[in-house]
Amino acid sequence: MSHSKAATLFNENEAKVNWHDKALWFVRHKRDLSAHAVKGWESLRQLGSQIKAHTLSNLDNYLIQFEENALKNGIQVHWAADGDEHNRIVHSILKASNVKKVVKSKSMLTEECHLNPFLEADGIEVIDTDLGEYIVQLAKEPPSHIVLPAIHKTKEEVDELFQKNIGTKPSGGDPQYLTNEARKHLREKFIQADVAITGVNFAVAETGEFVVCTNEGNADMGAHLAPIHIACMGVEKLIPKQEHLSVFLRLLARSATGQPITTYSSHFKRPRKEQKMHIVLVDNGRSVQLGRPDFRASLQCIRCGACMNTCPIYRRSGGHSYNATIPGPIGSILSPGKDLKKHSSLPFASTLCGSCSDVCPVKIDIHKQLYKWRQIITKEVPQPIVKKISMKMMGNTFSKPNHFKKVGKIARWSLRHIPKSIINSKPNIWGKERDLPDGPKESFDDWYKKRKKDEQ
Amino acid sequence: MGQKKVLMIGIKKEKKMSSRFEILLKIKANKPDLLDLPIIDETVFYEDIDHISEFKKKVEIVGGNVFESSSNQDVINQVKSLYPSTALNFSVLEGTEAFNTIDLNTLKKPHDLVDLDVLILKGTFGVAENGAIWISDKQLLVRVLPFITKHLILVIKHSDIVPYLHQGYELLKGKDNDFGVLLSGPSKTADIEQSLVIGAQGALSLSVFLMQD
Repeated sequence: MSHSKAATLFNENEAKVNWHDKALWFVRHKRDLSAHAVKGWESLRQLGSQIKAHTLSNLDNYLIQFEENALKNGIQVHWAADGDEHNRIVHSILKASNVKKVVKSKSMLTEECHLNPFLEADGIEVIDTDLGEYIVQLAKEPPSHIVLPAIHKTKEEVDELFQKNIGTKPSGGDPQYLTNEARKHLREKFIQADVAITGVNFAVAETGEFVVCTNEGNADMGAHLAPIHIACMGVEKLIPKQEHLSVFLRLLARSATGQPITTYSSHFKRPRKEQKMHIVLVDNGRSVQLGRPDFRASLQCIRCGACMNTCPIYRRSGGHSYNATIPGPIGSILSPGKDLKKHSSLPFASTLCGSCSDVCPVKIDIHKQLYKWRQIITKEVPQPIVKKISMKMMGNTFSKPNHFKKVGKIARWSLRHIPKSIINSKPNIWGKERDLPDGPKESFDDWYKKRKKDEQ
Repeated sequence: MGQKKVLMIGIKKEKKMSSRFEILLKIKANKPDLLDLPIIDETVFYEDIDHISEFKKKVEIVGGNVFESSSNQDVINQVKSLYPSTALNFSVLEGTEAFNTIDLNTLKKPHDLVDLDVLILKGTFGVAENGAIWISDKQLLVRVLPFITKHLILVIKHSDIVPYLHQGYELLKGKDNDFGVLLSGPSKTADIEQSLVIGAQGALSLSVFLMQD
C-alpha cells in the first residue's frame, strides 16, 4: 500500500489524528525549549555532524579498532552481513546455552532484522521490556515511532490490552496504574530471563565500550541480571573516542524528548563476573548506502526521532503509514536504499518544508535527500499515468508565459464563478477536506506591473 | 560423527570470517575520502552561571529531590525520616554499617536484591547541565543495585560538580571502568499517551544529597 493510501486510513478517525498531531508537536516544542537553553547549540550540532561524517569516512578502520578493543575487554564480537545472518547468530548463541526466555530492550536494529518472529518460531519467549514496545508487542503491531513506539495508541486501548493480557482491572486508562502493573509483570520477566538483548546507541572504537540510553531502566535491569548479554548494533553506531560521547549525549535526549539527558546512559565495557557478553555488528545495506554520495549522510542518524515529531506529514499520517521499520523523514531516505520499489512512495510523503533538516542534531540534509530520491524514483519506478500526464501538462504550462497567463485567468475566473460543488468535486484532490480560496481578480504579474507603473 | 561436527564448526567459522571480510571490504570500497575529525572547543559552551544551583535545578527538573547534608550520619538520619519503615536497606557510606539490613558479601545472585527498599551510593561526579551523576563499578559492588532498588540515594560533594558533560568525560579519561552509568533522576516513562509516570522499570525515586568538602 502506498503511503498516501495508508495515511487516508489513519485519517478516518479525525479526533485521534488531531490528538496525534498535537502530542507530537508538544514533544517538538519541548525539544525547542531544551535546545535553545544550550549555549552553542549550533556548534554542538556541527560537531555531531562532523564527528559522524569523519567516522563514516574511516569506518572500516574504526570497526577493526573497536573489535580489537572489545575482544580485549572480554566481549565476543560477531559480524552479520544482513538481517538473516544477524538472526542466525543470535539464535545460535541462545541455542548453545539452551535459552528459553529472553528480555529485550529497545533496539530498532532487531526490529529491522525481524528478530522476534525468528526466535519465537523456535519456541523462545522474547519480551520487549520498554513500556511502549511492550504495549505494541501485546497488540501484535510494529512500533509507530522510534522513540515513542506506542504513540498511536490511546490510554483506553492500552487499558484493554493489559486487561486481556496481564489481567489488570479496568482503570479507564490510568497511566500510573498501568505503568505500575507493567513494572510488576516485567520484574518477573527480568528475574526469569536467561538472556538480555539490548540495542546500542554509541560504540566507542578507542575503548571497545558501548553505551545504551533508556529512561525506564529496562536495558540495565535485563543486562545486569541475565547470565548472557547480547548487544546488537548497526555498523554506523561507531564513534572514535570516549570524549565524543559528551557531544552526542548532549544532543540525543534534548532532540528526542526535550530532556537534558536520558535517565540512564549506561557504559558497558566488560562483562561482569561469570557473565558472557556478545556484540553483533550488522551491515544489512549500510555499506551500500555508504557508497551513495547523495545519501550517505543518512548514516549519521542517532535515532532521536526529532524529524518525525516536527514533520507535518508524519504527525498527520502516523508511523504505520510508512510501512517501514524507521518511519518519518529519516526513514523515507533510508528505506528506498533498501528496497526502492517497495518504498517508492515514501520520499513523496513530504512537503519538502525542510523542518526535519533544521531540527536534526547531526545536520542530515533530510529534505534535500528526499528530493534526490524523487528524481531517481520517477526514472526507475513506473509512476501512475495521471501523475505522469499532469506533470507533463504542468511542465508545458510553466514553460510558456502566455499559456500560463491564460490558464491563470481561467482558473481565477472559475474559482469566483463556478459553484463549490463542481470546484471541489472528486477529480480535484486539492478540494478534499478543504475549501479553495476565492480567485483574485488580478494575477500577481498584473498587480506587480501596475505597482511599477504607479511608482514612475 | 566427530569429524562431521568438526567440519561443521569449520564451515561456520569460515562463513563468519567471510562476512567480516566482506563487510570491511565493501566499506573500504564505498567510504568517501578521509574527512577531518573536529576538535571540541569547550569554551563555546561556557556560561557564567552558578553551576551548583544549576545542578540542583536540573536534578529537580528530571524528577529527583535535592538535600544538603553535613555528614554521613546526617545523610542516614535524613533518609530514615524520608523512609521510616523500610525493611531492606543498604548504604556504602563509611561508618553507617548500622543502617544495613542486608549483607552483600553473602549475596548469591543479583536477583536476590529484587526487594531492596533503600540504597545509598556515592557518586564520582555530577553534571550541572543535566543533573546526571556518574557511578561506576568501583562504587557499585553489584551492577544492578541502582536499578533494582525502590529508592535510590546518591551522595556527592559540591566540589565534584562539573558544568558540562565535556568536563565529565575529561574526568573519565584514562579511567578503566568495567561498567559505569550517568544517572539522571528516577526511572520514568511517558509511553501511555505521553503522560509522565515516575517509576518505570528502575528506581521509583532518586534523592541527591550534597555534601560540603
